[in-house]
Amino acid sequence: MSVQDAAAPTKAASTIGTPVRRVEDKRLLQGQGTFSDDVWMKRMGYVHFVRSPHAHARIGDIDVARAEAMEGVYATLTGAEVEAMTEPFMQIAPEPGSRMEDYALAVGKVRFVGEPVVAVLAETRALARDAAEAVEVEYELLEAVVDSLATLSPTAPVLHETIGKNIGYQDTYAWGDIDWALEHADHVVSIDKLHFHRFSSTPLECNAAVVNWDRGTDVIEVRSNNQMPQFAAMFISPAIGMPTSKLHFVSQDIGGAFGLKITSYPTIAACMLLSRKAGRPVKWTEYRSEAVTASAHGNERTFTDIKVPVMADGTILGFDVKAYDDAGAFMRYEPLGGVIWSQVAPGCYRLKHLRVEYTQVLTNKCPCGPNRGYSRLQHLWMIERIVDIVAHELGFDPVELRKKNYPQADEYPYETPNGCFYDSGDLPRMLDLGLELADYDGWRTRQAELKESGGGKRIGIGIGSTLDSGTNNFGQARLVNEHLPFSGNGEAAHVKLDLYGEIAVNLGSSPQGQGHETTAAQTVGEILGVAPTDIHVKAGYDTASHAYVGFSGTYASQFAVTGLGAAIGAAEKLRDEIRLVAATALGATPDEIELADGVAGVRGDEERAIPFIGIANLVYTNVAALPPEVADAVSLNCRYVYRPPFEIPDIETKTGELTLTYAAQIHVAVVEIDEETGHTEILKYVAIDECGRRINPQIVEGQVHGAAAHGIGAALHESFVYDEESGQLLSGNFYDYHAATAVDVPLLLTGEIECPSPRSPNGAKGMGEGGGAPLSTLCAAFQDALGAGGAVVTDTHNPSERVWRLLRERSDAPRPVEVVSR
Amino acid sequence: MNDPETTHLVEVQINGERYERAVQARELLVHFIRDTLALKGTHIGCDTGNCGACTVLVDGQPMKSCMMLAVQADGLSLETVESLSPAGEELSDLQKAFNDQHAVQCGWCTPGMLMQAKALLERDPDPDVETIRRTLKGNICRCTGYVNIVRAVQQAAGQDVSAGIQQEARA
Amino acid sequence: MLARPLKYARPASVAEATALLRSHPGARPLAGGQSIVNVLKLRAAEVDALIDISRLEELRTIAATPDGGLELGAGVRYVELASAPLVRERLPIVADVADGLVDVQVRNRGTLGGNICLNDPTSNFPPLLVALGATIRIAGAGAERRSVPAGDFFVGPYRCALEPGELVHSVVLAPLGGDEGVGYQTLQLARDSWALARAAVWLRRDGDAIADARVVLGCLGPRPARQGAIEAALLGGGGGEASVSAAVAAPLEGIDAVGDSHASPEYRVEMARVYAKRAIHQALAQTEAPA
Repeated sequence: MSVQDAAAPTKAASTIGTPVRRVEDKRLLQGQGTFSDDVWMKRMGYVHFVRSPHAHARIGDIDVARAEAMEGVYATLTGAEVEAMTEPFMQIAPEPGSRMEDYALAVGKVRFVGEPVVAVLAETRALARDAAEAVEVEYELLEAVVDSLATLSPTAPVLHETIGKNIGYQDTYAWGDIDWALEHADHVVSIDKLHFHRFSSTPLECNAAVVNWDRGTDVIEVRSNNQMPQFAAMFISPAIGMPTSKLHFVSQDIGGAFGLKITSYPTIAACMLLSRKAGRPVKWTEYRSEAVTASAHGNERTFTDIKVPVMADGTILGFDVKAYDDAGAFMRYEPLGGVIWSQVAPGCYRLKHLRVEYTQVLTNKCPCGPNRGYSRLQHLWMIERIVDIVAHELGFDPVELRKKNYPQADEYPYETPNGCFYDSGDLPRMLDLGLELADYDGWRTRQAELKESGGGKRIGIGIGSTLDSGTNNFGQARLVNEHLPFSGNGEAAHVKLDLYGEIAVNLGSSPQGQGHETTAAQTVGEILGVAPTDIHVKAGYDTASHAYVGFSGTYASQFAVTGLGAAIGAAEKLRDEIRLVAATALGATPDEIELADGVAGVRGDEERAIPFIGIANLVYTNVAALPPEVADAVSLNCRYVYRPPFEIPDIETKTGELTLTYAAQIHVAVVEIDEETGHTEILKYVAIDECGRRINPQIVEGQVHGAAAHGIGAALHESFVYDEESGQLLSGNFYDYHAATAVDVPLLLTGEIECPSPRSPNGAKGMGEGGGAPLSTLCAAFQDALGAGGAVVTDTHNPSERVWRLLRERSDAPRPVEVVSR
Repeated sequence: MNDPETTHLVEVQINGERYERAVQARELLVHFIRDTLALKGTHIGCDTGNCGACTVLVDGQPMKSCMMLAVQADGLSLETVESLSPAGEELSDLQKAFNDQHAVQCGWCTPGMLMQAKALLERDPDPDVETIRRTLKGNICRCTGYVNIVRAVQQAAGQDVSAGIQQEARA
Repeated sequence: MLARPLKYARPASVAEATALLRSHPGARPLAGGQSIVNVLKLRAAEVDALIDISRLEELRTIAATPDGGLELGAGVRYVELASAPLVRERLPIVADVADGLVDVQVRNRGTLGGNICLNDPTSNFPPLLVALGATIRIAGAGAERRSVPAGDFFVGPYRCALEPGELVHSVVLAPLGGDEGVGYQTLQLARDSWALARAAVWLRRDGDAIADARVVLGCLGPRPARQGAIEAALLGGGGGEASVSAAVAAPLEGIDAVGDSHASPEYRVEMARVYAKRAIHQALAQTEAPA
């Protein structure tokens, strides 16, 4: 049942769709948030990790004696101990990738710079670091490989001997008939290679946990900022041999995560082992340079041998591509990315014939985590480059070509070739709105004037269209590994009336700034007839008290659908119980009862009403006053699990409904390039968003801003660069990894349209990841500035030097693009 | 003349309260504030002095408390986010502006941002958008894209928020 | 990250500070700390003790020199350089450079002396001071002072001409004549961010011709690099578009560009020429007589 048709027995004004001020802000603004590092326990020790200085080496002798002898050092933990105490973490990949052995600390070998080798626990942070310096580790250096394609060479050093090659997963995804399309198209545009670079959204709070193994109960409490605790529990439990019921995860405030705090489970496991060994609580607070070097990066992906069949009228039929996704040294969340891109297989376009030969490669680099826009943004960028390059090579207008190939408004729900349904949308209207807000025509005029006058500057105008698919069908995991017993999705919530009639809500999510306390309060308030400010949504997450399912957490653009879906269901259950109790007390029928302002009353009869405190009294403390059949039927403590209506995808054809909702973003950017230096200024940046019904438009806009900033930073400044020889990360701290500042992010202009989702319980769509739209948009702007016949933009990362080189590319240089026309 | 020592007794005013503690010479001011005094509002976002999450006011001027030793604060007066309004009570106008403009998402950069913004408005009660952006440059935010933080500072300065940003952005 | 164990002292005078530095060979001066605290956190250097000179008032003066120039104390903070009316009036370029340094917090704490003693190849002031022909006054034992021309002060990356037990006392800058101009141009990774290439230029015009010039490049080698060939090519010329472009094409000197994750050596060198050209034009524009 949706909110709209819930018989609406409430009087309080609806706040859905209004910018209700966030309730979580007050504590954060007063410095009263509680983040993991804000937890101090008695007898607690601080952990410091001895990390690998090498990209690839065999571990020889480890000597911890000197460290352990230092005053104030509580314990050390080595890989050999970890190997003896634990099983390798389970792998998602099928054979042979499943043979990868990933432990809480490096065992036998190190495979990337910064990999944890030894853990040292001491009385203070400083002592722990001093002692870590005293640990001696012998290494026998091995050749390292950091290039995503070179790692496939038969002569490349092998990272994991148990796998025998540097491939973690490989499969071909094909829908339609790309061979037929390439044969029958009027033009075939070939692109040699496109490269999506390595970067990360680098949440400002690094990973952290306070872990305490309680000897009396054998329960491990983990006060961490892991953003998907159930996933962590499912990985850690079999590895360390503890039941999930004894892994007690708690988080309150989390300082950003963006997907990158999902894969902190190996280090949390190391803290658990250390806590058990030392008999003390362990505090782990990652330093920034550790976070940048060795926590989790976003995936790098290289696309080669791209072939695009195009008809004379501009209809793009599809594409054929080889994709090499670089997971780094361990798989962790991978190879789920090997299928997740296919949620948006044809991108924003009506492409019918697709073939992707997907290979997950392993290199001596930091493992990846599902960074904002995960797996889809690489694929969406590749498609946007295709569309843009096709426009430039074949002389189509980039605006008209996009509009022609977008699904039109009347085609929704639009079924993709792989059986996904784009639930609602209107991309042409979004693009028009974006062009208008950006003053597209005005800038085209200005661009022409500038071309005329010279002066060393040129303007480029770019468009990027992306999708933000939300609410996964975990059945897609079966497409990478048929033995994985996952399908569907769900999220849980509790809504209860407390002893004096207060409304308390707890959620299965673990938010990191997305305002769940606020939107849940809006949603529950709507149903129970009270203002959001009168609802107490518990901050954070706690496995001991919160409702959860296996897919709980905050990731993958879904809270507005799954989290609020659960809150709606639980609130409706509570509403019905309140009505039953009130009807009993007031001598009416439940459907005569309406809830408003904390009172349940008989419709049209102001004399007959009972406040929520009275309802609570009848159920909790005055229970003999209720007839047993009513008392037995209510608890005022309502748990609900929202389950999207998914089916298990078809493994053979790799088709099925992989995600429930499709939010969209279209960005328009105007850049000015200094021809002498390649230096770029963004003169104008517009983001148009469509995410169905907007529960809280201010929060939505904040997510649009944030996702845009990540993409802009990555497009111009942010890049993880490895030295090819040594495998050292050259941008291993915030000096060299230039996170976008207030002067780097332009003043973003936003606009929106609203196409309510017919699939979700509240018309909303999950949003927040943004699909990496700025990467596509800025590449398109550079391409526009370079003009037809010029150099081709083939990389996501375009700092000044790369733009400078593109501007200087000789006209007789071999081009990475070829057009064959019939 | 005092010879260099490993341990020092420091006396420092923080948010109007006087603290006297023995500190190690190597101890960073931010660790003193957080671990010794348990003033948890001041955060750490990097280890190279780039992010500004640890920004506090030292004698009224924003400085990074991870780029100062605790012993260097001896005799000085500090303000942290906890000084802006008592916990649980009404928000100050600046804090309220951050709430109104949705300038907070995860809250990690927020304390440093607030201290930076407070000092700016004391220096320049009517800053233009460019000045606000340049001032916030030393405080990295990974959630908001800064737009709403600029708006919040504008609101706190009593400026017409929507008009300001829209005009700048459209110009 | 956290520093290794170390000692700290806060002497009451420059003489005490230099005495402590002499008696503790592993000690280093601590001024604003905006670099050395990082170095300590990274455990990138062995430092036994820090001698805190940040509160020594005698290092914090901004004074007019009788010839119309400036004497800037080593302990003057960037924010003070950026806002001091005397600096704005006499050598606005110094105020501008200070105002563009990193961020508010660093400007509130970092000092001129710290900047030049660090002599990081990307540091802002070394090339400017060489171009301006500054003199570095150095405090030694007791009241002893000696002076070193900026051109000789910057010895190599992270090294300067200070002897053990010495401190920079102040920087002395000559006044700018009406026929002189200064240019300072930087290609940055992002705004107020790390420099990829930098040029500082001082020149004097005599009538229509450039009579004297100092062209200095930063970021490209161990120390700020005077460009003798470019300077020679400029002399006697009128500073027109074509002649300046020709001059910056001259062979570069003292350059050892390295690549990193932000830019290749080739690009840095090319950009150095572009920014030298822009700095020359900026300087020339100041020498033009008002209409």
